Amino acid sequence: MPKRIGIVGAGSIAQIHMDRWSRMPDVELAGYYDIDESAAQRAADRFGGQVYPSLEALLDDVEAVDICTTATAHREPVLAALEAGIPAVVEKPLSRHLADCEAIVDAQARTGTPLFVAHVVRFFPQFAQAKAVVESGAIGQPGVIRTVRGGSAPGGGGWGSQATARSYYGDFEKSGGVILDVGIHDIDFQRWCCGEVERVFARGLMFAGKEPKDHALIALRFASGAIGHIEASWAYPPGRFRTRLEIAGDKGIVEWDSLAPAPVQAILQGEDDPMDVQSRTSSPTAPEDDPFYAELAHFVRAVDQGRSPQVSAYDGLMAVKIALGAIESERQGKPIAIQP
Amino acid sequence: MTHPIRIGMLSFAHLHADSYASCLQQIPDVVLVGIYDDDPARGQDRAARFGTDYFSDADALLNQGLDGVIVCAENARHRRLTEQAAGRVKAILCEKPIATTLADGQAMIRRCRETGTRLQIAFPVRFSPAIQELKQTLDAGTLGTIHSAKCTNHGSMPGGWFTDRELAGGGAVMDHTVHVIDLLRWFWGTEVVEVYAEVGQELLHPGLGIDDAGLLSFRLSNGVYGTLDTSWSRPPSYPTWGDVKIEVLGERGLVRVDAFSQHLQVSSDLTGKTSWVGWGSNIDLGLIRDFVAMIQEDRAPSITGEDGLKALEVALAAYESARRGEPVALPLED
Repeated sequence: MPKRIGIVGAGSIAQIHMDRWSRMPDVELAGYYDIDESAAQRAADRFGGQVYPSLEALLDDVEAVDICTTATAHREPVLAALEAGIPAVVEKPLSRHLADCEAIVDAQARTGTPLFVAHVVRFFPQFAQAKAVVESGAIGQPGVIRTVRGGSAPGGGGWGSQATARSYYGDFEKSGGVILDVGIHDIDFQRWCCGEVERVFARGLMFAGKEPKDHALIALRFASGAIGHIEASWAYPPGRFRTRLEIAGDKGIVEWDSLAPAPVQAILQGEDDPMDVQSRTSSPTAPEDDPFYAELAHFVRAVDQGRSPQVSAYDGLMAVKIALGAIESERQGKPIAIQP
Repeated sequence: MTHPIRIGMLSFAHLHADSYASCLQQIPDVVLVGIYDDDPARGQDRAARFGTDYFSDADALLNQGLDGVIVCAENARHRRLTEQAAGRVKAILCEKPIATTLADGQAMIRRCRETGTRLQIAFPVRFSPAIQELKQTLDAGTLGTIHSAKCTNHGSMPGGWFTDRELAGGGAVMDHTVHVIDLLRWFWGTEVVEVYAEVGQELLHPGLGIDDAGLLSFRLSNGVYGTLDTSWSRPPSYPTWGDVKIEVLGERGLVRVDAFSQHLQVSSDLTGKTSWVGWGSNIDLGLIRDFVAMIQEDRAPSITGEDGLKALEVALAAYESARRGEPVALPLED
């Protein structure tokens, strides 16, 4: 019997998740609940399954739930799933607000219901391999870790050009701006590699009145003594998304840059106009190595085998705490201590 | 429920066997029943590592009710083990090159056909996502008429039996001709019709006693010409083992593929060098999954013994061309 998955919140990230679920063997998209019923209906039309009239109706009918609501609307469905004993995926950040994260961590510990926070960067093969290199001891003890995750503003012509995307991401009260939406990927990755963070200092554009543009340069200090730097950007020119990582240890260094030459490079001339020259590059992987597919497959495997998913509610909470600390640092111009 | 697929491994002489065994462990419903190796130390070591039994006698392993075997012996020993397994398993995956002589390769294909055993040759590069994207581009005809394919399959000098003429059948040209030639035959459903080759004997490794450099210039039956550099030209200080690169030039464009370019750069004081650590998809896993699926689905192999034989023939023709100092036509005379 295929495992029946329910989707709560059929918005932008859900489109990617639903596509990956639909490709997975032994999984069935049972249906969708969204406060905007037309969004749930569009998902049902595209991927099959039903539209549920309520969150409760969905939870009654599924074996696992994937919560893709906005970061301000995670608390209610996550708590409901945990209380109902339905294993849940929740999109990052765990919540816009720390109090929600704490309530979720408490409920998860009390109910024991499996919860996976979808920090997908851990499942990007480059980043997963870098973590494996650190674990292998090849670079010794990590000392300075630097990562970059930069693109253009959502709705700013680069991506997510719908007005709804612009109004959500551009409203920093809801989205938490580039730090909580983008920088949190790197906060979680760096914490995964280097352990707990003691303090954070950040400068950026969050309070510069340039919405939806945002940009942050974040400095972290880890309990191990390691130092972290994160650039998170919604202020690059459109079409220039870039990620980069380097981890320097006392025995070596590991580096990767998305600007490295891609394995496939094509230069094609137009059939009718030979002066019409198009270049494209791509860096394909096997379907199961797609990071979104890999994270969801990991969740299913972990639940089936009774193991804890790799990113815990506590990991999700700490990433939010550090991100909110970075925002607070930007506001106050002071370093912010992070309490475990 | 289908019953688990029972696989045996015949020899770990070829280092790819380690990767294939690790892939078997990653596939659900597959059991690595045992390992035969004529080198007891190596066989026992791998059996311990992969949590399976060592067999000092191939027949004893073949008596375990296997669905398939993977042959990773020295090139010249593929025939004996393949003939031994044929008729006692449903399917055989044989490491490339199929053999060291056309007669051996033909005998393997014949025995497998007579016994109803499916024979697949291990050409994992067909499972590279970048190479598959190139094939899709070629199938779509986007480049128009194809002029040429400029290819490299560089490597590091592997040492051991790879430099023993009896066991390997040749050096760098034997080792590194067949992967890319297989890809080109697969891309276009074509054959190599003529080869000219410059072969370097111990050019990069003085005293090696065998060829360690080769440059093939070929023409395919579909009119495409090209070159393939097979050299073991990557020294120990180089950051990676080698490469598979193919540049296809057509009348409406150029596609470059570097199949192993997805890597991290790791500098480590423990090794004293900078190395590339790949993060791309595991092509061996694609190959082994395909082999297992062939058994489960009881279908024909995606890469046949004939594919292995045709690729071997090009390597042999390259040596013949170097001996004669002129282009050699294919197929070769028996």
